[in-house]
Amino acid sequence: MVIEGPILEFHQKSPKPLRVYSAQQSKAKPQGQKTLALLLFCVLSGIRISNFPKHRAYDQVFFLCTKTQSYSPPSYFPWRCVEKILKDDASEEKGERARMASFVGAIAITDLVKTTLGPKGMDKILQSTGRGHEVTVTNDGATILKSLHIDNPAAKVLIDISKVQDDEVGDGTTSVVVLAGELLREAEKLVAAKIHPMTIISGYRMAAECARNALLQRVVDNKENAEKFKSDLMKIAMTTLSSKILSQDKEHFAQLAVDAVMRLKGSTNLEAIQIIKKPGGSLKDSFLDEGFILDKKIGLGQPKRIENAKILVANTAMDTDKVKIYGARVRVDSMSKVAEIEGAEKEKMREKVKKILGHGINCFVNRQLIYNFPEELFADAGILAIEHADFDGIERLALVTGGEIASTFDNPESVKLGHCKLIEEIMIGEDKLIHFSGVEMGQACTIVLRGASHHVLDEAERSLHDALCVLSQTVNDTRVLLGGGWPEMVMAKEVDKLARKTPGKKSHAIEAFSRALLAIPTIIADNAGLDSADLVAKLRAEHHKEGCNAGIDVISGSVGDMAELGISEAFKVKQAVLLSATEAAEMILRVDEIITCAPRKREDRM
Amino acid sequence: MAAVTAAQPRSSKTESYVDNKRKEDIRQANIKAARAVADAVRTSLGPKGMDKMISTANGEVIITNDGATILNKMEVLQPAAKMLVDLSKSQDSAAGDGTTTVVVIAGALLKQCLTLLSNGIHPTVISDSLHKASIKAVDVLTAMAVPLELSDRESLIKSASTSLNSKVVSQYSTLLAPLAVDSVLSVVDPAKPDMVDLRDIKIVKKLGGTVDDTQLVKGLVFDKKASHAAGGPTRMENAKIAVIQFQISPPKTDIEQSIVVSDYTQMDRILKEERNYILGMIKKIKATGCNVLLIQKSILRDAVTDLSLHYLAKAKIMVVKDVEREDIEFITKTLNCLPIANIEHFRVEKLGHADLVEEVSLGDGKIVKVTGIKDMGRTTTVLVRGSNQLVLDEAERSLHDALCVVRCLVSKRFLIAGGGAPEIELSRQLGAWSKVLHGMEGYCVRSFAEALEVIPYTLAENAGLNPIAIVTELRNRHAQGEINAGINVRKGQITNILEENVVQPLLVSTSAITLATECVRMILKIDDVVNVR
Repeated sequence: MVIEGPILEFHQKSPKPLRVYSAQQSKAKPQGQKTLALLLFCVLSGIRISNFPKHRAYDQVFFLCTKTQSYSPPSYFPWRCVEKILKDDASEEKGERARMASFVGAIAITDLVKTTLGPKGMDKILQSTGRGHEVTVTNDGATILKSLHIDNPAAKVLIDISKVQDDEVGDGTTSVVVLAGELLREAEKLVAAKIHPMTIISGYRMAAECARNALLQRVVDNKENAEKFKSDLMKIAMTTLSSKILSQDKEHFAQLAVDAVMRLKGSTNLEAIQIIKKPGGSLKDSFLDEGFILDKKIGLGQPKRIENAKILVANTAMDTDKVKIYGARVRVDSMSKVAEIEGAEKEKMREKVKKILGHGINCFVNRQLIYNFPEELFADAGILAIEHADFDGIERLALVTGGEIASTFDNPESVKLGHCKLIEEIMIGEDKLIHFSGVEMGQACTIVLRGASHHVLDEAERSLHDALCVLSQTVNDTRVLLGGGWPEMVMAKEVDKLARKTPGKKSHAIEAFSRALLAIPTIIADNAGLDSADLVAKLRAEHHKEGCNAGIDVISGSVGDMAELGISEAFKVKQAVLLSATEAAEMILRVDEIITCAPRKREDRM
Repeated sequence: MAAVTAAQPRSSKTESYVDNKRKEDIRQANIKAARAVADAVRTSLGPKGMDKMISTANGEVIITNDGATILNKMEVLQPAAKMLVDLSKSQDSAAGDGTTTVVVIAGALLKQCLTLLSNGIHPTVISDSLHKASIKAVDVLTAMAVPLELSDRESLIKSASTSLNSKVVSQYSTLLAPLAVDSVLSVVDPAKPDMVDLRDIKIVKKLGGTVDDTQLVKGLVFDKKASHAAGGPTRMENAKIAVIQFQISPPKTDIEQSIVVSDYTQMDRILKEERNYILGMIKKIKATGCNVLLIQKSILRDAVTDLSLHYLAKAKIMVVKDVEREDIEFITKTLNCLPIANIEHFRVEKLGHADLVEEVSLGDGKIVKVTGIKDMGRTTTVLVRGSNQLVLDEAERSLHDALCVVRCLVSKRFLIAGGGAPEIELSRQLGAWSKVLHGMEGYCVRSFAEALEVIPYTLAENAGLNPIAIVTELRNRHAQGEINAGINVRKGQITNILEENVVQPLLVSTSAITLATECVRMILKIDDVVNVR
């Protein structure tokens, strides 16, 4: 946005401008004669200029004022523009303008991701401007926000909360941003109505507390009943997946996710669940397998199947140990000596292999290359050797087989070996992979995703990851809520009640909070192409009754019973959405000055 | 309560969709771009489809009829168009053939979607209906399919030749089709009868001759000559073959070393030592009775030197050098031997045996052939010939498609008619099905059915027939219950296509439908393009 010249703000009735916003707002420096004249006109005719920006131009205005002599400069005029405090390129925005910038940024971000909300939310293409112009298709709020170019500080705050939401609970990344954005949108109106931001903040706080209590009263906890709890998990997984690419096969994937999470037995260590993507087949062909799958090849001439494997996981260079001093060299005087050295080098490799064999293993996995020579030695010893496993792969392998990653082999007794019942080569699609089954860490499992293309697979992985996160959190915190806009309606109702009880200006803020909550069902309905005003009003009427389970049934496009439809959400997710959105809104509201530091200059490296 | 609402007739409010301008624009732009891609390959569909000439950035020229290759080389930038390119790649990896078909279907579906969207139907409703329709379509196709036995070589050859008929090499389909079938069948592992790893079939291209000279070799072919230095043997009967991963050259250490020579006598001594060193190695090799050496390429030092070649020639050992490391696995599997990484491990049991290893002159080049391998692994080599590089490359691609077709048949043993018959039948049955459905769904399924007619339409168009007359005639015949009536391009009329031996694997058709639908659904659901880092 570039504005040339100042913006004048007029009162409805008065012909004189009320305020002058300088063009500095747009970082274009007001240097034109026109600007100067306008400013001068304002000063001389006694129009108060709020937010007088500091700039060289105003020194000139001041100078002109003193020159004409007949006018003395007005008393509020900054006598001399303050000595420059900030660096040249640094800029400062204050008060209302700063707040405005935050609102605009935050709301823009909200509008961007809002269309992805709900089961009928749309996807976005993320087109990379980097090399290769890679394309990602996604519905995941966190992924979209993470990859945006953002210059607005308030927008960055929103992106951060969505990231935190992603790390903490895994799902609700879009909801949290949308709620925060709606809270700010409401706050903007209140600020325009001259309510102090601090009043709004305290109102929001009260409202958030009240909303949380309202949810707490309505949670269902099926911790005692294993059967029911499992069905709760299924419902949550299906609800999470229904807004994603996996929605067509959501039952299949919900089952996969629940099975995987149940194996974890309460730990939230998702590391133990490995997701392997293999193009080909369709999403329905995806499956869960116990144990661990490594996408590598077994060395030539080595056994392809090992029972009761003892695994040594290592990160070591298998070529000769080199002297790492630059310029070290050996001087010899005959060819046979060279041959001897070569022989010695080979001998060293053999030593190393022997040491490794000394651990009594029958499977050796190395992160680095195993060259032809050691490979043959391993093959001769009948040991399965896997070379060049990636970092992630061996760390996980060490974790699930209960071994340690070794890099020296002098003390066989101190190295912890990994164990598993069976190692074999399996074929998925066109590729051969190595499957470790019956591993030490019983909870480990692998989900193999199949799908038409990389886009589908990547998006499927993100969706499944969301579901896994939510489920693993739910296993620990077993409280469950209904979905489909139901929690928002419950909260909004209670918050509304609170607003009526609260005296003072705060009550406006509390009311605004309830309106912001209602925005979520509204957006869900809008995205599905439904008449949101009608639906939300109906929903509110339903909720007027005690103990109502009504929510938006997007599929039939009407108000439906969420308990019957089996749409559930985890309490932890909703709570995190509520609290972090409120906090973020509060943080942005408190801002009254934005200082942009001067960009660090890049040195020309010519 | 849900039950009550479901029973009510759907009000006009639901499922309708009011889009804002920007989203509309983006969706339109995506669909247009994707359709442009589809239109680009449309004319190459079918036996009378035309080829495309692509001149790549580095000045190379490719002439091909293979949809996947054309799209791959097109370098599109628009994200939705890229998705179509990926779609054809997926089809290539899933079925290997039908890469053009899948893109053409996707283009036709998108065209129908555009109409549906402009009627104000919500994209997710379209997307869900398309999914339903595709599942139903797969059912219909499966019902149409004819089961096949692997022993039925005739049928396999028929389907391979259907795939080959649309290529440049179509006049050689009588040669290439049986070849493809035989090579796939020979690598099927009886333990895992559903799996065929195409990496077990090696295709060696050699310029010269004509495609007619293409042959299946029971054994190994190296596209290099045997080492001629010092007149080593070029033909070896009763060969004992060793695959070595070490070097027969003067020693070299990993640590930097230098030999200090102070006078001339020392120089002589060093030369002699070098000679002895190599001779020692060769003696060890000879002692095992080995008479053919395959030497892995080495970057660190020379795999062989002139000197060692000389000694090897004297020892009557045939040498093939510069074998790539990736090929070692294939070679050892074929020869049923083990690679040898050190001279100390050179033992008899690691050698492979073959009746004959010989160097054969082919056109201007020479190749080394290994035949009569004892206990040969389940691998095959196909030697493709062609009069120029373009034909050669296209022949290889076509052969790859044919191999894929046979592989599909091995993993899913069903055949289906070709010539647009399945598509028109699908269109008819889905059209009938759509009348049973309620609301928007029925409307969308009908569009899906109409979109499928694009295949027979394009087939007829490319063959220079009157597409409208042909498609209506086809519809008519199918309505009368001739489910296998299809376009006979050669005769230019409609016949029972099964009798004409135009058949293709079921997997190709089903995966084309499901993949195209999946891709279209993805494009439909996109409402924004965001530029990111």
